[in-house]
Amino acid sequence: MKKLLCLSLVLACSVAFAQNQDEEDKKDWGTLTGGFESIFQWYNDDTGLGKFAEDEHVRSNNYLKLDYNYGNWFAGIQVESYAPMPLLNYSPKLDDTGIAQYYAMYKTKKLEVTAGYFYEQFGSGLILRGWENRPLGINNSFRGGRIKYEPSNSLSFTALYARQRDGFEVSEGEIFGFNSEIDLTNVFKLEASSLSAGFSYVGRKEDIPEQVQNTGFDEMTNAFSARLDYSGNSFYSGIEYIIKSKDAVVNTQRYIENFVEPGNGFLINFGYFQKGLGVDVTLRRLENMSFFSEREASGNVFNENIMNYLPGLTKQHDYLLTNIYVYQAQPTISVPDPSLLKYGEIGGQVDVFYNFKKGTPLGGRYGTKIALNAAYWAGLRGDFNFTDRKADIDYFGFGEKYFSEFSLEVRKKWNRKWQSIFYYVNQYYNERYIVDKLGVVNSNIGVVESTYRINSRQSVRAELQHLWTQDDNGSWAGATLEFNVTPRLSFYVNDIYNYGNDVEDEQIHFYNAGGSYARGATRFAINYGRQRGGLICVGGVCRFVPQSTGLTVNITTAF
Amino acid sequence: MKPIMSFVAVFLLFTIQAAAQKEIPNIEVKNLDGTSLDMNQITQEKGVKILSFWATWCVPCINELDAINEVYEDWQDETNVELIAIATDDARTKKRIKPLINGKGWEYKILLDENQDLQRALNITTIPHVIVIKDGKIVFRHTGYFPGAEDQLYDAVKKNTK
Repeated sequence: MKKLLCLSLVLACSVAFAQNQDEEDKKDWGTLTGGFESIFQWYNDDTGLGKFAEDEHVRSNNYLKLDYNYGNWFAGIQVESYAPMPLLNYSPKLDDTGIAQYYAMYKTKKLEVTAGYFYEQFGSGLILRGWENRPLGINNSFRGGRIKYEPSNSLSFTALYARQRDGFEVSEGEIFGFNSEIDLTNVFKLEASSLSAGFSYVGRKEDIPEQVQNTGFDEMTNAFSARLDYSGNSFYSGIEYIIKSKDAVVNTQRYIENFVEPGNGFLINFGYFQKGLGVDVTLRRLENMSFFSEREASGNVFNENIMNYLPGLTKQHDYLLTNIYVYQAQPTISVPDPSLLKYGEIGGQVDVFYNFKKGTPLGGRYGTKIALNAAYWAGLRGDFNFTDRKADIDYFGFGEKYFSEFSLEVRKKWNRKWQSIFYYVNQYYNERYIVDKLGVVNSNIGVVESTYRINSRQSVRAELQHLWTQDDNGSWAGATLEFNVTPRLSFYVNDIYNYGNDVEDEQIHFYNAGGSYARGATRFAINYGRQRGGLICVGGVCRFVPQSTGLTVNITTAF
Repeated sequence: MKPIMSFVAVFLLFTIQAAAQKEIPNIEVKNLDGTSLDMNQITQEKGVKILSFWATWCVPCINELDAINEVYEDWQDETNVELIAIATDDARTKKRIKPLINGKGWEYKILLDENQDLQRALNITTIPHVIVIKDGKIVFRHTGYFPGAEDQLYDAVKKNTK
């Protein structure tokens, strides 16, 4: 701990030093920039939810990132401290304080060379993505070397060799990657549109355990991806195809004996737009496409060692009750028993955005904006032979229905003071297949949100939500009230209440109250209340959190 | 707990003293047609620009950009300011960007920061986040959106165009 304090002092001084030098001008010492984030949580015993049964009532996650730049040279570190323990349900590997990441980079217009930790994404991430998301506890960055070379404006190449970050260590597998992006616009002499292609290779090499050797797969698993994207004046389209070589099937961190399968993925996207109207269609098929830097990480609940990015392609909601039954992509083969066979997923979604113009009957004085989304996802249809360990999977067959959703959002400004959002969602959620619970959930959700501007600085926002269902835990009601004292300072209270729960003791109010203050690049937020247990999802990736009650303080700043 | 608190305290103390980040890092972002663009191409231009970090799934971000859209013509007439909306959507939601901006009729220049490289380099942890730059230098930053914040933003723009 003392080390940490010294380190922060030294770093902080160097910030001040660099800045002073900056002000003195003339001599260029380079620039030092950075960011700091701290989330501090005090969990208390709550008669409604029961005693807090874990160790350490007081916990915190702290991140300090520093970047230094001098001419073409860049270097940086990220110090992380989880003290005395990380927040609830973050990976137990995050149990330390220290330098979690570091890098050095040399960059010119055409060439970029990086050593140390880096983030990377090939194409849409279907084949490779290293990223960070602190609220989800994800940091899948890579440690190794990377070279990017752009010989011309229309060509770009990336090559990398790395191992993936895993807590404060790196995981077992070695990762080899190559990516190319080719802009074909000039080749085809396109004037009002653009065309580009991309090819990627990712290899993962990991030793095979003694007991599963010689069953028909190699240490090295190879994946190839090809993409083509077209973008015109009012129409665009994209297609991506990816294959992964034969590899052992691993479920819930165990090898399935003698079960070896290849994988593939297929993504099509197209859309049309003009002023006031936009339509987008996305279709995807994934078969055995989960890809981990360590085979036995398959099915881990902390989203660790995931090399590619396979988000659930559904609308990302921003309200408390619309985020209870969230679809997660089902790319994995899993065969726990004959009544629950999964090979992957197939489905798609459609989005329509439309603006009723000002002055029309439906548009009124300020116009009316609507957004519509429909999504449908099913499992791949197939057969599994338990004796031969062989899966027979249809290419375009729709199997068990996993999820469907329809949502409509209407935004309306009534006058200078009032504006509202109306939101309706209808969901079908197959709990058996998505989260391995029994049953399905059919639900309808309605949200009304209104904002009233008291004057040019102050406003009040209110939200009413309701989720109707006979299934699972029954219906919920919710409300939020927010008072914005100035555009910088705001307070809120909210509550969601599971009044429809059959078990009377579980008809719980999850209430919260808090406030935030933001100035420049600094934000301070404080909150007290109850966290609903379940999935917390950001960007189609979810993390399970147990329910808890407590005080949260969050500080973020950039300098 | 104490060491952590002192860690925080020491750091905040010094960061408040230190002047804020002034430069926009020269990170590669994408245009909506998929072609890439270095941020230098934007920061080397003269004049006042607003960089607004948003995402299609972020309700307050859309509220902010909708609110500005209503007065954007006036802002441009009076100050010649340009708003560049930088979408941080990843592969899950980026396909919604084009239909959404057209459906809404936004006139902003849209850029895509798909793996959040620019967002990370600017140490932005929450969106919406707006940055005002004058001749490529950062002169104003703000996190979060509540109604009325667009007026504050415009005050910052006017102050720097005089």
